[in-house]
Amino acid sequence: MTTPILEIEDLYARVGDKEIIKGFNLTINKGEIHAIMGPNGAGKSTLSNILCGKPGYEVTSGSVRFKGKDLLVMSPEERACEGIFLAMQYPVEIPGVPVTTFLKHAVNAIRKHRGQAELDTMDFIKMVREEGKKFKLDAEMIKRAVNVGFSGGEKKRLEALQMAVLKPDFAILDEADSGLDIDALKIVAEGINSLRDGRRSMLIITHFQRLLNHVVPDFVHVYADGHIVKSGGKELAVELEEKGYAEFEREK
Amino acid sequence: MAGLLQQVSLPGEEIPWLNEIRRRGRMVFEATGIPTAKTEAWKYTKPRELGGDDFVLALPSNNLDASIPNLAFDSYRICFENGIFNPRQSILPQGVEVLPLIEVIMFHPEYRTLINANIQLERFPFAALNSAYLNEGVFIHIDSKVEIKKPLTILYHTDNKNQNLLCNLHNLILLDEQASAKLIEYHCYKGELKSRYFVNVVNEIYLRRGAFLKHYKVQDEAFKSNHIALNCVDEASNAVYQAFCLQKGANIARNETHVLLKEEGAFAEINGAYVMNGWATLDTTTDIEHLAPNTISHQLVKGVIGGDAKGVFQGKIHIAPLAIKTEGTQLHKALLLSDTAEVDVKPELEIFADDVKCSHGAASGELDEDKLFYMRSRGIKEEEARRLLIDAYLEDVISKIEDEKIASWIRLMAK
Repeated sequence: MTTPILEIEDLYARVGDKEIIKGFNLTINKGEIHAIMGPNGAGKSTLSNILCGKPGYEVTSGSVRFKGKDLLVMSPEERACEGIFLAMQYPVEIPGVPVTTFLKHAVNAIRKHRGQAELDTMDFIKMVREEGKKFKLDAEMIKRAVNVGFSGGEKKRLEALQMAVLKPDFAILDEADSGLDIDALKIVAEGINSLRDGRRSMLIITHFQRLLNHVVPDFVHVYADGHIVKSGGKELAVELEEKGYAEFEREK
Repeated sequence: MAGLLQQVSLPGEEIPWLNEIRRRGRMVFEATGIPTAKTEAWKYTKPRELGGDDFVLALPSNNLDASIPNLAFDSYRICFENGIFNPRQSILPQGVEVLPLIEVIMFHPEYRTLINANIQLERFPFAALNSAYLNEGVFIHIDSKVEIKKPLTILYHTDNKNQNLLCNLHNLILLDEQASAKLIEYHCYKGELKSRYFVNVVNEIYLRRGAFLKHYKVQDEAFKSNHIALNCVDEASNAVYQAFCLQKGANIARNETHVLLKEEGAFAEINGAYVMNGWATLDTTTDIEHLAPNTISHQLVKGVIGGDAKGVFQGKIHIAPLAIKTEGTQLHKALLLSDTAEVDVKPELEIFADDVKCSHGAASGELDEDKLFYMRSRGIKEEEARRLLIDAYLEDVISKIEDEKIASWIRLMAK
């Protein structure tokens, strides 16, 4: 039996005067991995920002439900506490805030929301160090300020580490592979796959097929001009890679 | 009504030279008055409210019977309660001269040349006012090559009990050749947050050849009080003065530091932070005079301003013609948390020598929305995210404090 975790219905949204999302529909069930592929500038990041509640975007009509609740009325922190995670295309540098402090505040905020006790600091640091090893981020790096002095690949690995520590029910991976060399891509992909447990859902946003060779999706959607123009299985990604986006843009 | 200048009987009136200092202080303050916006040095910080106020001079009968606030570190203690030295609450080190200033004036006239030696009263009206009442304060003398490991804390504890108390304090700090010490000044209040009082401090610091003083200050006065402090530092060759001042209280406060790098190799680092809300004006003013070759000064001051508050930074670096191969740097940064928060910055460089390295910079900005969103997207509540970002903003200046226990205390006080 399928249980929807995310239901987007006829969504329209804009930034300033510019309409970017135009009649977007998508339902993701528990445990499913979806990929959205589309050309640069089609508004893929707008979609992920709207799902996470980033200020500056205006939803003009349509609805988004997360686990049956109205997502659009929630603050970004409420959404995170409910189980949404966004691995960002451009992770932000926060000088003066060490990774461990940042993650500890995040973990405890989410635990508090769930009515769980705060984690003991020593246990927490041990856990982050263990998880860090999986993403080749050593103890020295997780003591440093968030993303400060991190290379592009290290930033992406830190996003994956955060996801592993926060254990969301639904993760959005926005261009998780951009800027990664092949080794780093494998590390990130392995991390993502290790979180794939049949219950957790994911939305992978990308314009290359590359990451999808390592994290194989259940469904692939082609996104152009603010909505989905075609949906299919994992083979659609291969077709896209061969034909390019232009063909699909014409089809609609 | 009793204003700032009152006729009072003070100890030591039989000493002519003391009377002369007091008379001159009174005369200069009468002539200059309370600075207004027309006084260039007080363009941004206007202590106008002091004019109409009714003051009660701090006297020993005003002593307050309060327990001492806890300090987070082991320290000697020199206690002023309501502007009066209280030996019973003080814990003084052995083998170091720590005396009430008036005792030094009466019994050790050899130190009298140190008083106001570098302070031109006409330039500093509140130092003139301070001299008019010269009496309270402490004299600290550390002998040559003596290192005091434990910090010396001067604790100023004030509670006005509905009186508008005027506290004038004058401290003389003398470190002989290669002596070393840590001095902490902690200004705090007891009782009503709305207490009104005026604390007017002058510190004269003399660092002889190779002496090393770390000077930390926390100004946490009641929010309707006024606080004016002048630190005048005189450095001989290879002396080191490292200062950090956190200002977070008072309605109008100025912490002014005037450093004279008189001989080769003298070094000064003047750092600070201020954190404010409401309608306060917190002012940091510096004047660093490089008077000899190979002298070095660094300044870093960061402010966090919310509500209708105003931050002021006036920083001057003067390099005299002889002072070649000197280095002077200065940086002020402010974080504005509201649309009505204000910051006024006046950097001044006066360079009369060639072959010097000198720089200054100022920046102000708001909390970064992208950083806030990044933290919130991980579940951290907006208020908490803001708090973390503000702490992080101040971290690079607080982390310059080498003593970890003192740094932790100041970090906590800045929250």
